[in-house]
Amino acid sequence: MKDKKRNIAIIGLGVTKFGELFDQSYDDLVRDAATQAVTDAGIELDDVQGAWLSTAFPEIGVFKGRSGMDLVEPLNLYGIPVTRVSNFCASGADAIRNAANALAAGECDVAMALGVEKLRDRSPQDSIVKMMVELSHPYYQKGFTAAGTFAIYAKRIMHEYGLTREDIANISVKNHFHGTLNEKAHHRIACSIDQVLGSPMVADPLTVMDSCPTTDGAACVIMVRAEDVDKTKHNPIYVDGIGLSVSTGWDLPFFDPKHDFLSFQATKDAAAMAYKQAGITKPIDEIDLVEVHDCFSIVELLTYEDLGLCKQGEAKDMIRGNATQLGGEIPVNVSGGLLSCGHPVGATGVRMVVEVANHLRGDAGERQVKGAKRGISHNIGGPGAIASVIVLNNEN
Amino acid sequence: MSYIKEYGIAVPEFRISDKTLHPRLGRKGQHAVCYTDQDIITLAFEACQNVSKDVDAVFFATTTPAFKNRYHASYFADLLGLDQGILAMDFGTSVRAGSDALLMADKLVKSGEYKNILVIASEVYYPEIGKEIRAAFGHAAVAMIISADAGIAEITNTKSYSSALAEDFDYKGENVQYDARFARTDGFKKNLGLALKESNINASEINQVILHSPYAKIAFGQLKKAGFDLETQLMKDTVAAEVGNTGACHGLFLLINALESHKGDTILFDYLNGTNVIQISKNDCHPELVEGQSFNLQSTNIENYQDYLQLRKQGKFTGRGYESIEMFSSEMISEREKDGLIYLRGYECAKCGTVYYMNAARCNACHHKEFKQKQLQKTGTVYAVTSEHYFPNSFAPTNMVVIDLDGGGRMTVQQTDDMFPTEENTIKIGDKVELVFRKMMENDKKPNYFWKCIKK
Repeated sequence: MKDKKRNIAIIGLGVTKFGELFDQSYDDLVRDAATQAVTDAGIELDDVQGAWLSTAFPEIGVFKGRSGMDLVEPLNLYGIPVTRVSNFCASGADAIRNAANALAAGECDVAMALGVEKLRDRSPQDSIVKMMVELSHPYYQKGFTAAGTFAIYAKRIMHEYGLTREDIANISVKNHFHGTLNEKAHHRIACSIDQVLGSPMVADPLTVMDSCPTTDGAACVIMVRAEDVDKTKHNPIYVDGIGLSVSTGWDLPFFDPKHDFLSFQATKDAAAMAYKQAGITKPIDEIDLVEVHDCFSIVELLTYEDLGLCKQGEAKDMIRGNATQLGGEIPVNVSGGLLSCGHPVGATGVRMVVEVANHLRGDAGERQVKGAKRGISHNIGGPGAIASVIVLNNEN
Repeated sequence: MSYIKEYGIAVPEFRISDKTLHPRLGRKGQHAVCYTDQDIITLAFEACQNVSKDVDAVFFATTTPAFKNRYHASYFADLLGLDQGILAMDFGTSVRAGSDALLMADKLVKSGEYKNILVIASEVYYPEIGKEIRAAFGHAAVAMIISADAGIAEITNTKSYSSALAEDFDYKGENVQYDARFARTDGFKKNLGLALKESNINASEINQVILHSPYAKIAFGQLKKAGFDLETQLMKDTVAAEVGNTGACHGLFLLINALESHKGDTILFDYLNGTNVIQISKNDCHPELVEGQSFNLQSTNIENYQDYLQLRKQGKFTGRGYESIEMFSSEMISEREKDGLIYLRGYECAKCGTVYYMNAARCNACHHKEFKQKQLQKTGTVYAVTSEHYFPNSFAPTNMVVIDLDGGGRMTVQQTDDMFPTEENTIKIGDKVELVFRKMMENDKKPNYFWKCIKK
């Protein structure tokens, strides 16, 4: 059963502007994304029979998103099962996975998965760094920020595989260029390698320009079983496979001598699940575009290998050969990625699925990947601990 | 009989000179000062690293306590993994507290009731900001095992003479300058006179005299009269010159210095508001006793007063806009997890031998369910390292080091003693590092101690 094609369709897409949205509240974002998705699906809110809310960090936001209640309150959508999903940066994808499972199980016929995060109502000094210092274990990993965790991977990979600092920076250059084509991205500014290398150091070797911004935003999808798609009303994109894997812990990488910091096992595990369901055996030939979780530029590079787009140690050749640029062999993060769009943690996974779906519909405008039929969306959360891979197809 | 069986000394790496403290006074002294994450506990811990933990009592001497209503000796016995029921006592108030503890240990061992007593003296005195030049200070800790078993030196005689008068003391937090002229007739002079008369001190049988007293010079005449040749027998205080006056540690520190100088029988007069007389006889010449080995002469000078102020700002963070962050601290977690946090006891898979710092239901490599306890080593090789520029800390960046420990296991800790980044202390992949016991980021309610690392 777990290796079978999912047979789920996404019929409604909604995504808000991503950015420092001082004029919008958490509730405003929920309303905006949900309304877009419901309208796009051609249904009414009352048609939704079950919903999943993804918010990763209520504690550093506005204390909203602690339960499913915070999804239905701004919509006055009461009387249905609603659950809050939290799985670090894979939260959004996990909301979609849970909605798909409920549809398959027959608990509901129309499901909503909505991701939202409101991070910019607080000062930058009041965010994730502070939360980790103040609330986490009083001894372990004291000194790390999210950037530092991934910088450790970067340092080890540079040491092992001859990856250069410029290779890593090139990811940022590529995605920032893509971001100029996305009207909903947080930062729409192209940059040069020198600007990436010259920006303030965050965690050696990663600079500010290698790091995604913290952002406000929301995204929403409406899902049904593939058999319930009404092609006269809907413009469906099909979910062929969903993989999600927790493959290491929060502290484990830093205390387990076998953890090599050279790849994300979680991504490999999640990809294996999703590919099996979707019947993918040679991803580089069978996928037309990829949205990758580039919270830091190094993560995208590693993920090329973990998703099987190239062999281990060869990611540098993909970026050097422009294979992942718009127009290249397999465009990655044509939305601008997290580096340009920003990272409202709970919303990101849903935003990426919406992005891939728009390309598969042929609706991606200026940045459209031509003739895209199949795409994947990838998230990784924690210190490379939790990954999700979702395979989307414009045919069932 | 009682002996000094083992000893250890800890001195912080950093020094501030009198010249930097006050360029125009022309003084030539220097003072050892703690790094932001060192205190009397971490220094004492370092001093104890290589002495035996097989003891039946712990004495802790300091005039600069970290706690009130909490015995440092008890806290420390626990840090060393000693039994809860052990005899643990603090000595304080006067800088002769160190030799007070030694004297009591000697008496108890000689009584036959105790076999091995760990005596610790640790002093971290911070003079008032701006008034350092008037103060005698230097941070250090000393540990000694006083034992019934033969050791480095025999303690032949210990005696204490009280003095009601104190020339200089604090009352309600304020310094009271009593009349120093009393010292000429009373105080140290009177104590010394009594000691020379009553303790059967024979100048010709003593090779070395140590005077630890601000009024040492007053006693010169008496010593001469008693037959001492000050030129050859009076020990020069090189510790004060290198490290500063280490307060409650100083008497014991000088005693160790005397042992390392290989000059033979030594007598210490340790004064403040009473005098302790400690007489030792070197009956066994240990080759490992090399002059100067006991304290860290590899020091780093703090070249300006601003850096020194920065060093003293414990618990206030200056990095990238973080004024202050209170770290979550829990006495429960510290107590429950002390096997790993303090004692570095890890878990070795009984099947494949992979060593873990953390416990789990099964081995992550082979899924075997049984583990053996494994003592982790404090040295290792750097697997990866990064510098965190946005982590709130007194000195940014904070270097985070992933270490594969010698003998198995991995830990990830902060680098320390790195306020001045240099080629020598920059940690790279493959470097050898050593774990050191330090204070984590300070929470005002409670200090949290854990391991950090320095480059070897």
